[in-house]
Amino acid sequence: MSHQPCAIVGVGQTHHKKARRDVSYAGLAREAALRALDDAHMTWSDIDAVVVGKAPDLFEGVMKPELYLTDALGATGKPMFRVHTAGSVGGTTGIVASHHVETGRHQRVLAVALEKQSEGNAQFALGSGRGASIGAGGAFAPYMRLYMHRTGAPDDIGPMVAVKDRLNALKNPYAHLKLADISLEKVKASPMMWDPVRFLESCPSSDGACAVVFTDEAGGNAAAADGRPPAWILGSAVRSEPSSFPGRDPVRPQGAVDCAADVYAQAGITNPLEQIDCAELYVPFSWYEPMWLEAHDIAGPTEGWKMVERGDTALDGSFPVNMSGGVLSSNPIGASGLLRFSEAALQVRGMAGEHQVDGAKVALGQAYGASAQYFSMWVVASSLDPFGA
Amino acid sequence: MPSADDIALVGWSISPMVRNTDKTEAQLLLEVISGAVDDAGITRREVDFTCAGSCDYVAGQAFSFVQNIDAVGAWPPKRDSHVEMDGAWALYEAWLRLQLGDIDVAVAMGSGRSSTADPALIYPMEMDPYYLAPLGTDAASFAALQARALIDAGKVTERQMAEVAARCRRDAQGNPHAQITGDFDVDALLSEDYVRSPLRKHDLPPITDGAVAVVIARADKAREMCEHPVFITGFAHNSELHYPGMRDLTVSPSTTLAAKAAGLEEAPVEVAELQSAFSHEEPLLVEALGLGADVSVNPSGGPLSANPIMATGLVRIAEAAAAIRDGGKQRALAHSTSGPCLQQNLVCILEGQSSEGPATKGTAK
Amino acid sequence: MTDVVQTTIQFPYKRSLGPVVGAFMTALTDRRIIGIRSGDRVIAPPLEWDPETAEELAHDFVDVGPAGTVESWSWVASPTSQHPLDVPFAFALVKLDGADTAFLHAVDAGSIDAMSTGMRVAPRWRATRIGHVTDIEAFVPGEAPVVPDDDGGAVDEPVTMMDYNASITYTLPITPNAKRAEQANKEGRFIGLECPVCGRTYTGGRGYCPVDSVALGPEHEVELPQQGTVTNYTIITPVQYPGQTETEPFARVHVWLDGTDVVLGYQPLLDTPNADVRIGMRVSAVWASDAELQDLASNAEGRLLGWMPTGEPDDTDPDLVNRIQ
Repeated sequence: MSHQPCAIVGVGQTHHKKARRDVSYAGLAREAALRALDDAHMTWSDIDAVVVGKAPDLFEGVMKPELYLTDALGATGKPMFRVHTAGSVGGTTGIVASHHVETGRHQRVLAVALEKQSEGNAQFALGSGRGASIGAGGAFAPYMRLYMHRTGAPDDIGPMVAVKDRLNALKNPYAHLKLADISLEKVKASPMMWDPVRFLESCPSSDGACAVVFTDEAGGNAAAADGRPPAWILGSAVRSEPSSFPGRDPVRPQGAVDCAADVYAQAGITNPLEQIDCAELYVPFSWYEPMWLEAHDIAGPTEGWKMVERGDTALDGSFPVNMSGGVLSSNPIGASGLLRFSEAALQVRGMAGEHQVDGAKVALGQAYGASAQYFSMWVVASSLDPFGA
Repeated sequence: MPSADDIALVGWSISPMVRNTDKTEAQLLLEVISGAVDDAGITRREVDFTCAGSCDYVAGQAFSFVQNIDAVGAWPPKRDSHVEMDGAWALYEAWLRLQLGDIDVAVAMGSGRSSTADPALIYPMEMDPYYLAPLGTDAASFAALQARALIDAGKVTERQMAEVAARCRRDAQGNPHAQITGDFDVDALLSEDYVRSPLRKHDLPPITDGAVAVVIARADKAREMCEHPVFITGFAHNSELHYPGMRDLTVSPSTTLAAKAAGLEEAPVEVAELQSAFSHEEPLLVEALGLGADVSVNPSGGPLSANPIMATGLVRIAEAAAAIRDGGKQRALAHSTSGPCLQQNLVCILEGQSSEGPATKGTAK
Repeated sequence: MTDVVQTTIQFPYKRSLGPVVGAFMTALTDRRIIGIRSGDRVIAPPLEWDPETAEELAHDFVDVGPAGTVESWSWVASPTSQHPLDVPFAFALVKLDGADTAFLHAVDAGSIDAMSTGMRVAPRWRATRIGHVTDIEAFVPGEAPVVPDDDGGAVDEPVTMMDYNASITYTLPITPNAKRAEQANKEGRFIGLECPVCGRTYTGGRGYCPVDSVALGPEHEVELPQQGTVTNYTIITPVQYPGQTETEPFARVHVWLDGTDVVLGYQPLLDTPNADVRIGMRVSAVWASDAELQDLASNAEGRLLGWMPTGEPDDTDPDLVNRIQ
């Protein structure tokens, strides 16, 4: 019994939009799944098991939708599994699917994560139907105020992240927000929604889905031999902690620190800034980019915002972050984590198109959820031995 | 190909099963996790991974599982996951996780307060959102359609269904975790009105609040931890298409496929704990699993005696493990299900330790 | 008897139907029921995919029924609020003529005695049809569809959307700890529960320490001060959604109770213009009266209505902002 290599040979996603009124709930999931199968040169019958991830069922008013999605996703006569770990769920979905392969239980596994937010209303769902819902923006606003205070970051850092991610999104054909005229001035002039967070520093509400095909070492090697580069999973990790107790630090949550340390150790990474070529981090509100750079020990304490200010995290910077445009440009909540993870895979496969980071060999995908208390991360690479150990 | 015999149950705890609890789900879980780690002779600190099964629409709150993390002792932070499925699937994820070999001990749990709202209003939400949910198609109505199909096919009679219900509640008298127990006269049961014809009240499970937690460990660790680990020698689940009108309701092929993948046929089982929440599901599942007349089915009383939704399946696994560790049995089967008309089914094969380890080496693929 | 609080989850969902369900719903308005071909089979109601193989199906629709044969049925003696009929009826799987699968719908047969497997049924159409599965009011025994005299005819435009309104009322127990906390509030007292292991204090009748996983009860109660300092805040612009109770931007503050480790997050601040909200403000607790309690139930825990400025000078400690949990 041991941990066997796992390769990503197919990635698919929908065009993310405020409302995908052209498709049914299952149609949205299938659009992503069919693209992933095409990318993997597979059909439904090649898949051994399906893992579905989604945020609260209240978003669409469909309870345990994996039941309805079973035959839509080709799982008739196969195992169908459903994960829900709040905002981190898309990442955890990918990790659980990879475990199906890494344990040797299955050879080819399909992970699908989705959200069709236009069917309901996220603020409603987050408040479980009650009035005066503070929403995710209201919940995280004090954390961001604390980050700004603790690090002495200039006020412009958040808007800079907001501009950078929207410029990246212009290069991503699947991104929801396409704000061609985005500028620092525009972001700063946008309404203050959840003080200190402005409207244009916040994620949109999107309909969208993401799918990934996982296979074993033989499958990964076969794809490579066929000229279709796989992404290899060097490590994956999850951590959770309680939402609140006296003394918890929600700006540098211990779970975020531990999760990163775990995944770096598995991947053989001792200097993440040097060894990782680019990262997709779950940044639903602008200030989360510097916060996660620090909490995941990519930057030192109070150094995260300086990376942003220097332009290090831009697409042409030394450590590009959210090349896809990130959660700030597309946020189908349940899928957002898997989108981060799959963008990391696309980068090391050299298949990220206009938002490709030249020569990316090692990439990090991350997602978080609830009160910044659920974390999932993975490191993928273009080979199983990218550091030439 | 790894063998499946490397993970074992080393402790478990089942909460009291009641009609209305005054506790939160987190409080229910706090108690059963404490009970389970005590049973395993460890503390929460020694648990490397936790996985929970629960449902927002049962809890009546979005992200309801987030409060439940308070119960697991996730400080320092823990490797942890959650499935919007029965705790039996949470155990499946934990079982997979331990097979990666880097950690040794996991806790799986399931919790549900079914009393919070009318199941007939909650369960339509899990049906096809266009064709079924708008009709208010509740789980009991679907169960009744399946029962009728079985009756029409000559596979079961209303009397046999009443006999199943009476037997379960009689057997439950010896189970401290049962909610509905007693000696019921089959003729008297059959004289009662239908709730959803052909189902009468006795054919339906009670509404139950409860929780369960199970500790599993890798073989070496398990043997270190206790004298009688109960090994998971096969574990698999499978699903059918969703819309019941597109299925043959007189069979349960996904149960058969899951049993085959779990290696059920490799040796006889003595006990089967089935998540047959409706009486007619028991003979259907017994047939799908190919169980002989000598197999003791739901000696705990089964879901007809206590049905804590989202925990019911994992309770079956704990009860089957107890039949081995505490009841002296050698090989047992536990089953869980989800969805209308047994759409999705899970089979877990448990074995006691003989001198050379488990009796058989089942694999799940 | 356990004390309970009731809460209702209700939302008017808007579902987009996609090309296949949309075609089915549009056909219903024209009093037609359609299936979709998959190889030699006709699947009705139609799916976008073959349910056995998941293969995408061409939009090769075929009219089925309108009459069909009952394959299985269940009598519903007491309909729920979500059921399509408010009189006793049957749910039935109906294999519509020309289809290879069965369609689930209600059969209005009047009496259980009129139901049998194998019986023939036909749709009773609603006069005004909008493209919804309940455009068929129910099936009725016999071969002939029932069309109302005032039939409204088909819709002009294809149906692409569907409303779904589910309302579920939950009855949740109030735990003994929460009840005692509320009783104390009623007496103008504020109580917390102190963990015997780590000494951290929790409010709102939480019932356990999440760090040490120990249950907390009456023996762990401590009196808490009702004054504190604002350590952090946000001003929330309310997003409008069904059930939203706010229309104007409102403040939520973190309050650190004097001399304790307790920080209460996201608290309402009363009688304070948003522009005046600031870190360091001194505030004291305001408890709801019995009359106010009913309105409060959906917004906050227990009887804590919110916090009112005391008028004392601000606390100027620059590190206050760190105290948010």
